[in-house]
Amino acid sequence: MAIITEYYLLLSAAVFCIGLYGILTRESALLFLMSVELMLNAANINFVAFAFYWGNLTGQVFSLFTMALAAAEVAIGIGIILVLYRNFDGIDVTEAATMRW
Amino acid sequence: MAGAYDFVPAIAALPFVAFLVSLFFGRYMPKRGAEAGIIATAGSLLISIWTALTVAGITGSATSYNENLYTWVAGVGDGALTLNLGVLVDPLTALMLLIVSLISLLVHVFSLGYMNDEGETGLPRYYAGLGLFTASMLGFVFSNNLLMAFMFFELVGLCSYLLIGFWFRDDGPPSAAKKAFLVTRFGDYFFLVGVVGIFVTFGTGLFAPLTEGGSVAAESFPVIADQVLNGEASVETFGFGAQTWFTILGLLVLGGVIGKSAQFPLHTWLPDAMEGPTPVSALIHAATMVAAGVYLVARMYGFYLLSPTALAIIALIGGFTALFAASMGVVKQELKQVLAYSTISQYGYMMLALGTGGYVAAVFHLTTHAIFKALLFLGAGSVIIAMHHNENMWDMGGLKEKMPVTYWTFLSGSLALAGIVPFAGFWSKDEVLFEALIHGFGSEGMLGPIFLLAYAMGLLAVFFTGFYTFRMVYLTFHGDARSDTARDPEPVRWNVKGPLAVLGIGAATVGLINMKPVAVLTGAEIDFLHKWVHGPDEGGWPAALSTDLVTYEELMDGVAGISSSYPIGGEQGTLLVSAALSLGLALAGVLVARSLYGVDEPTEHTDRLGGVKTVLMHNYYQDEYQVWLAQGVTVPLARAADKFDQGVVDGVVNGISSVSLFTGSRFRRIQSGLVTNYAALMTISLVLLLVVFVVFGGVVN
Amino acid sequence: MTSRPRLATEVNYVNGIAALALFGVLAYVFVTAGLEPPRGFGEGSVVASIGYAMFDLVDLVPDAHGTTEGFLVAFLTIAVVLDAALDGAVMLARRDDEGDSVEAATDGGRPVETADDAPTGAATDESSTEAETAGGDA
Repeated sequence: MAIITEYYLLLSAAVFCIGLYGILTRESALLFLMSVELMLNAANINFVAFAFYWGNLTGQVFSLFTMALAAAEVAIGIGIILVLYRNFDGIDVTEAATMRW
Repeated sequence: MAGAYDFVPAIAALPFVAFLVSLFFGRYMPKRGAEAGIIATAGSLLISIWTALTVAGITGSATSYNENLYTWVAGVGDGALTLNLGVLVDPLTALMLLIVSLISLLVHVFSLGYMNDEGETGLPRYYAGLGLFTASMLGFVFSNNLLMAFMFFELVGLCSYLLIGFWFRDDGPPSAAKKAFLVTRFGDYFFLVGVVGIFVTFGTGLFAPLTEGGSVAAESFPVIADQVLNGEASVETFGFGAQTWFTILGLLVLGGVIGKSAQFPLHTWLPDAMEGPTPVSALIHAATMVAAGVYLVARMYGFYLLSPTALAIIALIGGFTALFAASMGVVKQELKQVLAYSTISQYGYMMLALGTGGYVAAVFHLTTHAIFKALLFLGAGSVIIAMHHNENMWDMGGLKEKMPVTYWTFLSGSLALAGIVPFAGFWSKDEVLFEALIHGFGSEGMLGPIFLLAYAMGLLAVFFTGFYTFRMVYLTFHGDARSDTARDPEPVRWNVKGPLAVLGIGAATVGLINMKPVAVLTGAEIDFLHKWVHGPDEGGWPAALSTDLVTYEELMDGVAGISSSYPIGGEQGTLLVSAALSLGLALAGVLVARSLYGVDEPTEHTDRLGGVKTVLMHNYYQDEYQVWLAQGVTVPLARAADKFDQGVVDGVVNGISSVSLFTGSRFRRIQSGLVTNYAALMTISLVLLLVVFVVFGGVVN
Repeated sequence: MTSRPRLATEVNYVNGIAALALFGVLAYVFVTAGLEPPRGFGEGSVVASIGYAMFDLVDLVPDAHGTTEGFLVAFLTIAVVLDAALDGAVMLARRDDEGDSVEAATDGGRPVETADDAPTGAATDESSTEAETAGGDA
């Protein structure tokens, strides 16, 4: 007995909004990055849910690619956080508020 | 070959070139620019003579000229106003051109003696000012429309300011220059309003119609106004009756005239203007610039005749000023001050003549006064050179033997001023008073008594004129010398004596141009000036320009209600009585002066007047009154206006900009630099977009 | 050193309300969307079919798993991207003594006061030359 698609979508929306909440409120750059990961994975859930809905494999393959991209993005993100730490002596994203001039 | 009229603009252009030459190259020239001025004014004089001969019909083909030479502002659309500059030459113009260029030439020559020989500095500026003034005055004389006349009127005022304040490093001259400029400017404000009013009402400011091949191309405003009063045309009169509106316009223009010709109440600048060099006083403040106002009224006479109220006011102002200024001249101690008040008084006579309908008398007196007043001022200049610039008459005395040329020419001018036969002033002043008398008895309604009142004031002023003139002569030249400088005066050279001689002969003989009493008594046709402004009986320039005496007499009789009546034994009897009265009063004044001051050691008899003398010496407190008007009335008004401007007008503008600044500063806060804030904004926008999609069920139709 | 996770109560939650609003809208949409029952996959190993589809071996995908397309190009591209990300991360993490090209030696032209270790201090000594290279790169 298959789970109805709306629940999958609700789950995906919930995870996405939790990630969005994290982005909007968190000061620490690492937690910021974690929230971004959450959002990406919420999109993954969505892909898989619709792949099952339509009976098409494309969604599942796509979610694999999304995961790989998320990994790449995190790698670069950690590097940026490192440089941010070096320059601002802390990883508070609210401190880096002015453009370089 | 080109006629004289093609060169008329050169009459003003030549002195203008002299102005530029003196201004830029004067310091390299040996006489510091005088050469340019003398050559230019001599050239102007020659062209003026040629023009006068052409107007007389002796050379050339046409006896008048009226052309627009330059379109300054072209009107857009049908019936739109076009502002032009043009030239009008009729007998009045030709006469005035001769006077102005002759006096200017003589003053330039005199300046060689007064300024160059006395070692004055800054002369290029002086000769540049004289050149610009001559150019402006000549331009004013041949203007063919009111706007151009106004422009030159103002230019002439500017040159007066520059020249009065020539010695600007002292205290007196710059203050006097400022006063002259402000007082005349005050009158010119009304003049400008009048000019605008005339342009708006009539659509043109032309003094005389423009004709092209016999038919009228552009009508002049006096003719249009006459047609309106006859019912042949109609113009916008802003809710007033036509004649009332024309009176208002005429009185507005009169404001500028009163200022420029130093009539009461705007006369206060002229005595102070004596701070300028004496040649400047001779040229500007005796013979030409102050004549500009009277000339303007004569130019627009066809318009003024349509409004008896304006004429009455002019006559009253003229008569009153004549008496008022003459009374002040009685007590003055400085030579040029007496002459200044005399100038104010004599221009009062001209306004009296114009107001009472004596057009020929006014023009005649303008001519003779220009000559004898310039003569008197130049003579005073010669005395001032001799006295090492001490003007106080009580330090002079006995100069008669030491300066014969100056004395005899000055005497000639004084006799002319006092109005003793056969000098020029007698004929002209007598004609002014005669016209006032007969028009006073002959005019209808209130005009008659008003003219007679003005006549009485002018007649009384004759006595004072004779008195103060000869008081001046006796104190300066007769008796014993009262100071060392008077005992040993500095000699003057030919460049001073030459112009004096020329003008001296002129003062004695120029009366011959219109000896009306002799003409009437003997029937000889020797009233040349009368014929000059009368023109041919048919056709010629009167038909083209309508600025002739016949037109004016028709208007006087038909519209203004002025006509002549000879109360005492017909025309000849009245003439003789009037001449006897004025001559008698003048002689009486002379004799009183002689008895009081024609002694070896005169005393200041006017001290016996007591308190009256104090009032006269303070010029009836007119100066204090005007200063009070400026400080007590104008300054508070100006302050209130300034507050309004800063508070309301600037407030509105600043308010608008402050709204922009305020909203800008508020909007700026969105740019916080925090990524989380931007993300929040994006999320909110996304939410709103989705809500819109949900509500409307999508946007794809 | 480590502490158990605590609920974050000291964050500024105002911005987070937008996220809640978004969840509300999405939930409403999803709940009211009338979707059919899911089709699902048929018999057979889905994972194996994913592998076949990934490497362009579409013929080996059973019909029960629908019609798919080949993803070989995408797979290779992702491999390259992962490799690049690795290199980028290494480069970002590199220390300064080798001439770190991504350090912003100054913030607005001023030397940064907080020099946390020697290499950063060395960089500020040579800040003029570093700033130029940093400005060229950044």
